[in-house]
Amino acid sequence: MALLIAGVLSACRADPPPHSSAAAAGAAAGESESAAAWFVDRAQESGLTFTYFNGMSGDFLFPEMLPGGVALLDYDNDGDLDVFFVQGRMLDAAKSPADATIAPAPQPLMARLFRNDLVVNADGSRTPHFVDVTQQSGIDARGYGMGVAAGDFNNDGCIDLYVTNFGRNQLFRNNCDGSFTDVSKASGTDISGWSVSAAFVDYDRDGWLDLYVGNYVVWDIQSDQKCTGLTGKRDYCTPAVYRPQRDRLFHNNRDGTFTDVTARALPGGPNGPALGVTTADFDNDGWIDIYVANDGRDNVLWLNQRNGTFKNVGLLAGVAVGANGRPNGSMGVDAGDFDNDGNEDLFTVQLPSEGARLYHNRGAALFDDVSAASGLGPMSLGYTGFGTAWFDFDNDGWLDLLVANGAIEAIKERGAQLFPYGERKLLFRNLGNGRFANVTPQAGAAFRQFEVSRGAAFGDIDNDGDIDVVISNIHAPARLLVNTVGNRRHWIGLRLLGRPAAARRSPDSSAPAGWRDMLGARVEVIRSNAPTLWRRVRSDGSYASANDPRVLVGLGDTSDPPTVRAHWPDGRVEEWRAVAVDTWTTLRQGEGVAR
Amino acid sequence: MRRTRLRWLAIALACAAQAGACARGSSEPSLRPVSVPDLSAIEPSVRDQFHARHSALVAQIARRGAPAADLGTAYGELGKLLMAASYFDPAEAAYLNAQALAPADARWPYYLGHLYKAKGALEKSAASFDRALQLRPDDAATLIWLGEAYLAQGRPDAARPLFGRAVALEPRSAAAHFGAGRVSLANGEHADAVTHLETALALDPRATSTHYQLGMAYRGRGDLANAEAQLAQKGNIEPRPDDPLMRALDELLESAEAYNVRGGRELEARNWPAAAEDFRKGLALRPSDPSLRHRLGTALYESGDAAGAVEQFREIIRTSPDFARAHFSLGVVMEAGGRHQEAIESFSNAVARDPGYLQARLQLARVLARNGAAEKGLAEYRQVLERDPAMKEAAFGYAMTLVRLRRYRDARDSLVSAINTYPGDPRFSYALARVLAAAPDAAVRDGARAKALADRLLTTEHSIDVGATAAMALAELGDYLQAAAVQRDVIAVAERGGLHDVVQHLIVNLNLYERRQPCRTPFTDEELP
Repeated sequence: MALLIAGVLSACRADPPPHSSAAAAGAAAGESESAAAWFVDRAQESGLTFTYFNGMSGDFLFPEMLPGGVALLDYDNDGDLDVFFVQGRMLDAAKSPADATIAPAPQPLMARLFRNDLVVNADGSRTPHFVDVTQQSGIDARGYGMGVAAGDFNNDGCIDLYVTNFGRNQLFRNNCDGSFTDVSKASGTDISGWSVSAAFVDYDRDGWLDLYVGNYVVWDIQSDQKCTGLTGKRDYCTPAVYRPQRDRLFHNNRDGTFTDVTARALPGGPNGPALGVTTADFDNDGWIDIYVANDGRDNVLWLNQRNGTFKNVGLLAGVAVGANGRPNGSMGVDAGDFDNDGNEDLFTVQLPSEGARLYHNRGAALFDDVSAASGLGPMSLGYTGFGTAWFDFDNDGWLDLLVANGAIEAIKERGAQLFPYGERKLLFRNLGNGRFANVTPQAGAAFRQFEVSRGAAFGDIDNDGDIDVVISNIHAPARLLVNTVGNRRHWIGLRLLGRPAAARRSPDSSAPAGWRDMLGARVEVIRSNAPTLWRRVRSDGSYASANDPRVLVGLGDTSDPPTVRAHWPDGRVEEWRAVAVDTWTTLRQGEGVAR
Repeated sequence: MRRTRLRWLAIALACAAQAGACARGSSEPSLRPVSVPDLSAIEPSVRDQFHARHSALVAQIARRGAPAADLGTAYGELGKLLMAASYFDPAEAAYLNAQALAPADARWPYYLGHLYKAKGALEKSAASFDRALQLRPDDAATLIWLGEAYLAQGRPDAARPLFGRAVALEPRSAAAHFGAGRVSLANGEHADAVTHLETALALDPRATSTHYQLGMAYRGRGDLANAEAQLAQKGNIEPRPDDPLMRALDELLESAEAYNVRGGRELEARNWPAAAEDFRKGLALRPSDPSLRHRLGTALYESGDAAGAVEQFREIIRTSPDFARAHFSLGVVMEAGGRHQEAIESFSNAVARDPGYLQARLQLARVLARNGAAEKGLAEYRQVLERDPAMKEAAFGYAMTLVRLRRYRDARDSLVSAINTYPGDPRFSYALARVLAAAPDAAVRDGARAKALADRLLTTEHSIDVGATAAMALAELGDYLQAAAVQRDVIAVAERGGLHDVVQHLIVNLNLYERRQPCRTPFTDEELP
């Protein structure tokens, strides 16, 4: 009778079956994108071919639902952004990819590095062209990849990579010759467990990037629990079933090694399970703070105490929970000044029943939850948010949002699919009045696809003056969403470089210090007839991913060259007048006018 | 059976073919097809529930001349089950049919309101609650949920009169005051928010999430001390309106996981017997689920039934020996019952199954140290700290086990290191002060430093322990008169508190000071953790 009900009732389905990932991918490849689309997927044609393989084989192993991240970084210092994806594998050592429910793409199961050989066309336009350089890079990351952080930890001017895994994390030092060396063990950062998002951050203002690692739960295949949905059907567990794992803070010893200072610097806890990490100066005291989005537990705002320690002020700050006082299942996160008042606000994305949260910073790290008033909360209900970031996609001077979604519980209406977790992406436009509009329908075909999206990295991949997005999907091709509309308005592109110091006692010690991106620096863009804009240099935020550290500031319809004031992480302030519009400019610390 | 199937099939297919224009007759409203996803992988108990409701619906459809409202009820009842099982799309269709067939029945728009809320369709949710409210204008639950829908949409002004009416109708409804408080909070009316939220909390102190809103309201008034005091009490239980309809829905689904969720809610609300009852029902459906049984054991233990808890934990160990949490919990019960060797065995089993189970290893270390195996305890503490250096309970236990072993020099060094590592935790300063004041090893003692530490502690904490420590330091410095005076003060406090055992111990030291002798016992064995 049960089958009878099932069979009969399902014959009465009113709606057409939703798109499968495969169908959606086919449709995308075959469809010609409308000229009006704001973002166009150019992954396939640019050679950025990557599919995350989670190794699922019907056992619903918890880590399968949460990978994986993607990084945008200029590893070869040629002026354009390259792409790095983490990759999965079979979690159960007793199984091979042949046992997987969905076979992996025909690529070796390891993280991939794609070099961007950006083509400048005759008309001046640019076309990204990617070449898989994993083998020559020397990056051998075959763990169960979760996420990635990017930053120049040894101040040699070449950006390094920290790969978070289910398993042992890896640190790859960039040799400045196109290759990397695995320095995981020597650096002391090769912790084992389950890390997801990580961030390079100079929390003690000594000019050296330290490392915050967000950890999830204590899980191994032996302790795996069998979880079900309400009807008894097998599904993935929630983190509440497992014990949270403590986050770690590593202090940079300036010699290629790090010291785990968690016990002293991050009192209490464990506060996880952590999924998203973003760093910014939330109380405007000139010291970088750290915000951690936790899954099902209170989020944490680590306020920098300026003495090497942090204090969790999440609750009092008003950013630990939702407006109803209950913790959310927070995943992706980013900090940005959405209302151009000079304070870093917070945006987190979470479960379908919770909606996204927007916390407006009133200054001094006291926030108001304006999720409902902004419209972002209601508009994101029904979606499971992961990768996200503040970015001004239309260069109108107001930070907008993109959310890459994908369910973590099987979507019942898609029970027949092998991987029924796909959701659409969302694009929200900042209306400049505290409210946002859902402009997803205009965003392009890629936004209509149901995919299990996770990591998203944001940056100007074609150097044309607007922000593009790379999204990593589980069991579906990664997307390269090229922005087609941003540079219709004016902009300035800034790369803020500093040369804090060379390494002391490492093999690098004889090498001169290189210019590196000054993560944590803030820029104040002073315009003649428009409000001042505040942006910051960052690669963290989103979900398990690393963004373009450069700063692209939309200026709207005004082409007046603005004054730019750089607030460097060491507290110094410098100014540049009449910064060129509609082009990229490098600002080097010490070369501006001191303020 | 075949006949039933054919009728259902005919209706279903007709519905599908006519794209929602399915009707019983020309005068009856259009009905929507109700599709249910594949039920083959679900629990038999739930399948049986679907079978029963489906049969009831089919029977109603077959009843020629039956009132439309009866068919509406049959659709609505199926909708409830679909909603309870989170099949939201077909539940919506079923409710819409019920609403169309029985437009005077407030239940269906009410449930639709909740369904749309669960789906994130807030405008539809508000519209449905509004429709339900028109049918039952004085229903406080509907008023509250409609107010909540408006709040979620960022429309506090639309929500305000609804919560106001709810408060007027049910002045003892914590949920109504909670909503009114949140409206005030959203509008920046912090004084009003405090009033409403304090009332809500007084009416339902178990709704611990109210503390968060109250904390935010105090923060808005600039009263950070009260804000922090409220936030420290924050929990995750929201005040809910008296809501028989939703309670019926919540209790509808008969699956192990549904009982697990319900039991979990009761656990959170500290309703131990109700939690145990839910877990038992869940286990009846899925007897081999170790997690469910573990929660039953926990509920039983919390309700005072230690024997019942042990029985459950042992059953898990018998059937799922690798379920480390059962070993751990059994160890906790054994330890609480003074059965130390069995506790050691259970904790050992837990860490053997799950070497990263630091809470179990910490307990093992503690029990070993207390029960004649301090060296082994020390080793376990060390293992915890190797895996998680930030676990300060382990650092404290490690240092105090060194004290227990009379390794005062090592204890001192360990405490000095811990003070640097955990600067915010006064326990380490307190323990170090005692070791410096009273260690038998003269090379370890440093009376001046001990007194400085005790003095610093006394600026924030006037406890018996810290007072006694200050007296120890004074005695070590030779100021016996003052040491005795402080000790007498401390004894007086302990006497007032009825702490007779403590008083006896304090008198021992007082006698020493009165004889102008220092203390040479930093901690008695009873004082050591």
